[in-house]
Amino acid sequence: MTVVLGRVVATERKPNTPHEFHFWTALESPVGIGTIVRVDGRQPVNGQIPHVYGIVTEGFSYTDLLTPMHDVLSHDGAPGSAGFASTDRSEIRLYTAAVLRHIPEEPLQPVPMGDVFLAQEEDVNVALRMDGYLRDGQSTGIPIGVYRAGGTDATIYLDADFLVGPEAAHLNITGVSGLATKTSAVEWLLASVFAHFPDSRGSIAAVCFNVKGPDLCFLDQPGKLDDQDRALYEQMEVPAAPFSNVRYYAPLAARGYSLNTLRSNEALLHNVLPLTWGLREVLQYAEVLLNRDDIDAKADALIDFITRNVIDQPFSDPMLQRSHVVQSFADLEDWFRDVLHGLENGNKESWRTHHVATIRKVRNRLSNISLRCAGLVTDSGPVSDLPFGSFEDRATYVIDVANLEEDAQDLIFARVVSKLREHLERRDLGVKHVIVFVDELNKYAPGDGPDTYVRKMLLDIAERGRYLGLVLFSAQQFRSQVHRRVVGNSGTSVYGRMDGDELATPGYAVLSPAIRTKLATLEKGQLMVRHPHFTQPIFVRFPRPAVMTGRMGAEQYPQGGEVTLEVSVYRSLRALDSSIALNAVMDVIGLHEERDVLRARALTLQERPADVLGAFKGHLPRRVAQSVPHNVPRVAALRGTQGDDPYGV
Amino acid sequence: MSTDASFRASRAIRLLLPDAEIISSGDVAEESYAGAYAEAPRLLQAECVEGPVLRAIRVVGEPEVRFSAFLDGIQRVRIVSHWRGVPIIRGVVAAVVRVRVNRRFVAWGHRKPIVSERLYMPLRYLPCGMRDEVDGYPIVDTGVDGPNGSPPSRHPAALRAVALESIRRDRESAERQLAELWCTSVGEPIFIDGGISGSSGVACSECAVGVIKSHQTLYADGAALDLVMSLRRGERSSVFRVRSERRTEVVSWYLRLRDPRGHDAMFGLVRIEAAVRDDVALRANEISRWVLAEGAPLSLPDSRWDRMAYGIRDCEEFLRAIAS
Repeated sequence: MTVVLGRVVATERKPNTPHEFHFWTALESPVGIGTIVRVDGRQPVNGQIPHVYGIVTEGFSYTDLLTPMHDVLSHDGAPGSAGFASTDRSEIRLYTAAVLRHIPEEPLQPVPMGDVFLAQEEDVNVALRMDGYLRDGQSTGIPIGVYRAGGTDATIYLDADFLVGPEAAHLNITGVSGLATKTSAVEWLLASVFAHFPDSRGSIAAVCFNVKGPDLCFLDQPGKLDDQDRALYEQMEVPAAPFSNVRYYAPLAARGYSLNTLRSNEALLHNVLPLTWGLREVLQYAEVLLNRDDIDAKADALIDFITRNVIDQPFSDPMLQRSHVVQSFADLEDWFRDVLHGLENGNKESWRTHHVATIRKVRNRLSNISLRCAGLVTDSGPVSDLPFGSFEDRATYVIDVANLEEDAQDLIFARVVSKLREHLERRDLGVKHVIVFVDELNKYAPGDGPDTYVRKMLLDIAERGRYLGLVLFSAQQFRSQVHRRVVGNSGTSVYGRMDGDELATPGYAVLSPAIRTKLATLEKGQLMVRHPHFTQPIFVRFPRPAVMTGRMGAEQYPQGGEVTLEVSVYRSLRALDSSIALNAVMDVIGLHEERDVLRARALTLQERPADVLGAFKGHLPRRVAQSVPHNVPRVAALRGTQGDDPYGV
Repeated sequence: MSTDASFRASRAIRLLLPDAEIISSGDVAEESYAGAYAEAPRLLQAECVEGPVLRAIRVVGEPEVRFSAFLDGIQRVRIVSHWRGVPIIRGVVAAVVRVRVNRRFVAWGHRKPIVSERLYMPLRYLPCGMRDEVDGYPIVDTGVDGPNGSPPSRHPAALRAVALESIRRDRESAERQLAELWCTSVGEPIFIDGGISGSSGVACSECAVGVIKSHQTLYADGAALDLVMSLRRGERSSVFRVRSERRTEVVSWYLRLRDPRGHDAMFGLVRIEAAVRDDVALRANEISRWVLAEGAPLSLPDSRWDRMAYGIRDCEEFLRAIAS
């Protein structure tokens, strides 16, 4: 039997409304900010006793003192003597609660006077309207955490249709750094989504951008959990295990030997793949790498001309010395050189309406892309990309861009997201939904500053992604500094411990002072959640993610050091075939050019053949044996000079 | 007085006297009637039982928390109607015992607080005949003959004074009921607001201590009065006897709870009543320590805070909340 927790009170000065009410409790009651309560009315409305569910948003405590001076007088100004008083003053615990739901919902009336009870698990389901999407056999609930108050222990579910689409979508997390809020919450939530995303809604995968440190570099390694964490996993029916299907992608380091990632320990390379793009992949997103001053109408027209008429097709022009097939940055440089040479020789100022100055400018900007994004963009090497078209259900694809320059990060982000969108539009990605996780949204989609290509992409996902199945999970420290349309389109918002300055910004004015105080003092593992079905924010507790933290991973699996070309290739190939020996690799490499070796390695990794070493060898250029050709016409000897005449006269 | 209660009283009066004038609530503050039944100040000779004459005695020992409960009553009075000047008064009396549990007060669970609400009216002057209720509302006839056998004056003020006296008696009766029940069923020390001599059961009980805050009657004159007025903080007077024809004999003494310097002479002065015992001096010292221990917390913002124990203020606040 539930015990009466409090009583609704209302005065003329502090009346109850349809959206807010007040109640008092005993001093020892377990009510606190964020507690969910149920009010049972006394008078039936339309023959039904009204029930109102609310969440405590503010608390007051006071005594019958008129002024603090009276207490001073009571104890002769000696605070220590207060303990000897025979009686404590009458004291009140008065709470304000925001209404979550009325039953019946019509007519919507002010909250009636009545007894207040602590919400039990079934009350929580009703209060948060979870009863609408937790039906047996048709549940679309995704556990996000556990609500705990006064002995009530209820799992809180998000509605998959409102988290992943199509009704609403996207999730945004805000919280200060270093308190296991943002990354941990996303890791936990992805595990929960993978465990509970209903089969009826199709397949789902995640693409995570690791933008700083080793945060997401060990998702496939087990982390440390305590009994409380395991109990939470069990309660929410999510396996307490690391992600089983993770693939890492990272650009190569500038020399091209090893991968530019903190996950470069030899023991973990089996699922780390290079991310390298060529001219074709990059030129489409040249806008990302070129600032506004570069891309005037003339330059834009020339880039468009090159993209449509020059790349990947034979190109010839009477002015040019030869025909070109441009497939790499090196080819493009040759083409530019030929064009400029032709202009100079012909003493012309323009070619095909493009002025020589524009051509020089575009050449300069495009040519140094491979330098600015060395390791990601290859001059002439093969391309290694995400498996667009063959994404796997419940797989996680981590792209490590933590060690890259800003330009390269932007390029990767823009291209990957664009490709995801293209494939989702064509329904040929391999999965029906993709969750894209981006941290540091302050940086990529700031509320002010220039309108970058990346920000436009993020806005596009936020506003239209849910129709495609492209879902943005984003995180940042300062929500107030992120573009309003990005966070505004997030159906679900999650808040960890917040900074006081951030809480003082206007965006948080809708929260009561008590809620803001609670947000500023949240413990690790606690979150405040806003979701379309919840009319008020809810506080939940979530378990530590079952994956190794970045810090632990970096200690346990230190980054691989600089290696020779042979060792680099050996490590890469061993990831595909553990029986390969270093000596065998060294024998195959022999005296081949470094460029050829790296190209062969990339092609082998891309193909993932059964005979790894054989395939690698096959991709290396054949070394032709030196031999004297038969039937070579003999060159007639020069006629000898006569006498001492050195001129042969 | 709540609107709902006023409405009920008005409806009852309308049924009873359709042409009576209903006085809208809030017109007259009930406190304005307080003077109508205030006793006239007087001085009585104290009959000392601790020495031949009253003297000032310092209370020995530290204050000691011993009271388990506090008892007080309230009365709420409002003239709700009149018929050709004859006042019809709604009176609410209430009494409660508040028990101290873990340094906080709760209503005594053994006996619920007493709350009664009645209409007080002199039926002999009203055209409604003799009756004891209307529309479920109890009626108290205040027009009965007085002790001298004559009916009360028709003067509205005189009728009002009689009604107020009747209400006061009802309040004392409610307080007495609770005090007697406590003394017979619990027996722990109880702090009673006012005198205890009205009930022999209470007046003779070892557990009942009456604390009187008002001093319309002072049991001292001449030098004794000087002594009482000059008692210092933590001092008590000698014990004296209090008796009258209609009341049970008790012993009594004055005690100064607070330093009167800078205040009027009655500041912090209470008179204590207890059952008659042989060892009155020891008992007076012991009880004085108990009463002094109730000096904190202050019962501010009540204007009588210098003499009122916090437990009594708690009783009053409680009763104001439940007796609308």
